[in-house]
Amino acid sequence: MGPLYKFGWFDFAYSLQLAGLIGVLFGFLLERAGFGNARKLVAIFYLKDFAVLKVMFTAIVVCMLGLLFFSVFGWIDLSKIYLLPTYIWPQIVGGFVLGMGFVIGGY
Amino acid sequence: MNLEDSHEGIAKAQYMETKGGKGMKTRYANPYVVGALLGLVLLFSFYTMGRGLGSSSSFARIATAGVNLVAPGHAAANPYYAKYLRGGRSPLMAWLVFLTMGAGLGGLFSAFISNRVKGEVIRGPNIGVSVRLWLALFGGILSGFAARLARGCTSGQALTGASELAFGSWVFMFCIFAGAYATAYFLRKEWQ
Repeated sequence: MGPLYKFGWFDFAYSLQLAGLIGVLFGFLLERAGFGNARKLVAIFYLKDFAVLKVMFTAIVVCMLGLLFFSVFGWIDLSKIYLLPTYIWPQIVGGFVLGMGFVIGGY
Repeated sequence: MNLEDSHEGIAKAQYMETKGGKGMKTRYANPYVVGALLGLVLLFSFYTMGRGLGSSSSFARIATAGVNLVAPGHAAANPYYAKYLRGGRSPLMAWLVFLTMGAGLGGLFSAFISNRVKGEVIRGPNIGVSVRLWLALFGGILSGFAARLARGCTSGQALTGASELAFGSWVFMFCIFAGAYATAYFLRKEWQ
């Protein structure tokens, strides 16, 4: 039953290697989608290219459904998953400023 | 699990395009396919580690390691740095630091197989290189500050948090869009 690390399937040192592997897949996929190009990233804010939106929301929906089914089948214990806490004002201000920085800097 | 097969499939298809176009830059992959695979990678991360992806806190950890190197007393007294120094390990021996390094390598590999590795300053046709670079520095400082204020960036908060339906993460994500659309008009010369 997952999360495997929380149930002691492997230790900390192995978890760092796993982080490297997941990171490689993550970076590979983002570049595949064209997210290595600042102009392509920013194009969504000029209503020219919605790849960012398509990739992000497809990923969110797939992962969300995956977590749901894993939980229903008893493959993962959702209570052991780190749930991001809500700090509403920092998240509102941080989100807004990050959006500004995104367009100014090209992320 | 045929995650690897699909990766190779995409890579191969694009490689063939490259050969046909005599080293021309290849098209990017289908966003829905990439999105679905990214969702599976995120799910795999949750299943194995009980946590999602991210990157911004690895830069906070690198800063902590630097401060700790030159002024360990200051780092230990500052609650923000001290948080990363707990546990008796180097602040760099952490999940997100390794994940970020891996992401850099993975991105480089992907660009390499599609002939996209080259030195260039990506910008719109109506802006000079130096202005673009100063704006990049300024925007980067804003984004870095904002990501730490909100405890995460587009990966750690928006992608990961939204998948687990964390309320604050959804608010954060829509505020990113609000901030970006509000700013876009004033910077249209930088990109258009």
